[in-house]
Amino acid sequence: MNASKMPPKGRKGGSDPVGGAAERLAEIVGAAERAAAAVIDDAEKQAQGRIDEAQERADRIAADRLRAIADELDPPSAGGEERPRLRTVEAVPEPAESAAPAGPRSDEAGARLLATQMAVSGASRKEIENRLRAGAGIEDPAPLLDAILGPEE
Amino acid sequence: MDGRAPPRPRWAGGWQLGVRGGRSNVMNLTELQGLEERYLMGTYRRGEVEFVRGEGAMLWDSDGKEYLDLLAGISVCSVGHCHPDVVEAIREQSGRLMHTSNLFYTEPMVRLAERLSESSLGGRVFFANSGTEANECAIKIARKHAHRRGVSSPAIISFERDFHGRTYGSLSATPGLAANPALGPMLEGFRSVPFDDADALRDAVDGQTAAVLIEPIQGEAGIYPLSEDSLIAAREACDAVGALLILDEIQTGVGRTGSLWGYEQTPVRPDVLTSAKALGGGMAIGSCITNEAAGAVLEPGDHGSTFAGGPVASAAALAVLDIVDDPVLLRAVRERGRRLREGLEALDGVREVRGRGLMIGVGLEEGLDSAAITVDLLGRGAVVNAPEPRTLRLLPPLTIDDSQADRAIALIGESLLSYKP
Repeated sequence: MNASKMPPKGRKGGSDPVGGAAERLAEIVGAAERAAAAVIDDAEKQAQGRIDEAQERADRIAADRLRAIADELDPPSAGGEERPRLRTVEAVPEPAESAAPAGPRSDEAGARLLATQMAVSGASRKEIENRLRAGAGIEDPAPLLDAILGPEE
Repeated sequence: MDGRAPPRPRWAGGWQLGVRGGRSNVMNLTELQGLEERYLMGTYRRGEVEFVRGEGAMLWDSDGKEYLDLLAGISVCSVGHCHPDVVEAIREQSGRLMHTSNLFYTEPMVRLAERLSESSLGGRVFFANSGTEANECAIKIARKHAHRRGVSSPAIISFERDFHGRTYGSLSATPGLAANPALGPMLEGFRSVPFDDADALRDAVDGQTAAVLIEPIQGEAGIYPLSEDSLIAAREACDAVGALLILDEIQTGVGRTGSLWGYEQTPVRPDVLTSAKALGGGMAIGSCITNEAAGAVLEPGDHGSTFAGGPVASAAALAVLDIVDDPVLLRAVRERGRRLREGLEALDGVREVRGRGLMIGVGLEEGLDSAAITVDLLGRGAVVNAPEPRTLRLLPPLTIDDSQADRAIALIGESLLSYKP
């Protein structure tokens, strides 16, 4: 017996298949957006953490170097008597950009996750494209869509 | 008899290929079974068939009977049986250089490591010969990483019903099998929490935790996807104490779920992921892939393997990735997966359909026995697997086409109807 001849069973848990599917898709998109936001937050936190670490390291290195220069120019007294020393200047932190983690930007990671989850859930290219433009602020989603869905047919 | 041993049968002279995979057998199935019983350890319950040829999603037995393969050698032959590109890569490499050991450089291994790293976590790769070995490497990384953090009794936490392998480290992280007292004692430092219980996982992770080692979709248990809540809980709990998150992607990886790696569909990025099965397209290979930090943990002497990363298996894996790491194929995996799931959901006797992409668990209604249905389907010309009493597991080649997917639905439907009480 062919499966197509068997009486189709209703999909579990829904009397209106079209409305049910739309609802499910909306839920999935909502969940995907929440997940994407979590990824972005996480990535931003990590990036900020790395920037802070790098700044701290740069401050420490600069301070050590200045202290060494100060010691060279104005060595501490051999007798242990504390004399006024050259004042170390405040270290200038490295530009934040140089400490930013390499790799894709966090908003790109979030957009990629959103697009991947929508694709897995069966959303069309147009639906994903619209969501990326409106929800993720991606002006040209074509490269991301091509990477996930393949070139447009 | 002149006292000399009878000449040994020579395999090369023992069989000839026939039409559509049939062949002139030296032995029939009954004879093979007799020899198997005498000479092989009794660790498997095999289906009553001898396969002699495969092509795409099709297999042929020694009588020339055709089968639709919906299991792909437990997700190994993901690009289909004997994909010409994989066959050619193996043929070319095996004619040039098969093995040198890891004491020297070979290009396929290094190129494969680059490809795996760049497509996932960006760190380094250790090659193994199987999934369980890939997990052994991940366990070593986790323990050494923990010792460096000053952890005295590193623990690895998994979910109940996880399956991570059968060597002692991986086995100890596989709660269902580790409970077998006949195989004890297991390694120390492994704990499990109820499946998909995010709170229990959070509670279990503490300062002594070396890693959380989990499957994003439980495969051997019967295809049970982990919720995003649990994945996020695992990531957050690991971050809070400095432990590693290890995702076992031995079954979910290499395109099975519709993205190259299963984690790409989740908000979580692991520190370490393990891959095997489909990676070699039929050749034995496993890999432990890390992010940058975890990739620096193991040093010379910490780990090794004679065969791993050999040029033939690596060349095969590169050919597999050329086929699978393609958005058009991955889209097809998602579409075929949906087609199969929707068709299966509509069948009488099906309670639920779980999974993602072409990793599908078919939950059967009360009164239906998946083992019996698996045997029945084999008779009807379809290969599936029964990981638990009321679940059929489908892991067809990723290259399966629409007509083959429809045939799978029809055959399963017929089988279920014949067993429906």
